[in-house]
Amino acid sequence: MNISESKNFPVNTKSLKEVRDFARTIFDQSPILSPQKDELVLAIAEAAQNIVKHAYKDIEETNNTMKIKISFIDNELEIGFFDKGKPVKPENVKHRKLDDIKPGGLGTFFIKQIMDEVVFKEATGWHNHLVLTKNFTDQ
Amino acid sequence: MTYKVTEEGNISTVFLQGEIDMDVTDKAKEVIMPLVEAKKEVHLNLKEVQYIDSSGISVLIESHQKANELGTKVILKDISKSVLKVIMMAKLEQVLNLD
Repeated sequence: MNISESKNFPVNTKSLKEVRDFARTIFDQSPILSPQKDELVLAIAEAAQNIVKHAYKDIEETNNTMKIKISFIDNELEIGFFDKGKPVKPENVKHRKLDDIKPGGLGTFFIKQIMDEVVFKEATGWHNHLVLTKNFTDQ
Repeated sequence: MTYKVTEEGNISTVFLQGEIDMDVTDKAKEVIMPLVEAKKEVHLNLKEVQYIDSSGISVLIESHQKANELGTKVILKDISKSVLKVIMMAKLEQVLNLD
């Protein structure tokens, strides 16, 4: 069963629950994705949170939206994030060392733990386009 | 996220309920940190927490570290399966006080 759905969300912390609900509804449609729903939802929510927290850092209020597109085609899950915040330098996206115990810096670590690949791509009309992929062929 | 606090001697138990994300971390801190700062032993009951993200984990770390600094402790009680999974993913099961 192939899936391809997208939705726009206001860029603010209140949208994060809506993002999770959107993702859960989609993952529940697939018997392959459903068992890993909690982890996948966490990865999506962390990436959305990074947009709010970093791409829109120091911007108190915005009417901008972020778009999230979830595709599951031929056992390949691809989740795209599109935003018009401050352009992200991929080399600056890193998590803290795990043994350096302090609040913060875990979101990107979770995303990398859960997904196979995390890359930034070009997307016309958007400032940032993050793509998370995970292959489910063997599951 | 909703919460309830009970007191018994020097132990304050905070029953958290719902989802703990970036949107509610300030609220969670406002409940937990004053108890820690009052040098209470704080028990966080996480049985009814269905979701926690990195922001929520940060609250657990911050309160744990503050408690250590003040000579008291924060103990995580009745941790739900989904929260435990995230704590373990962050490799914090040996760092935080789990019960």
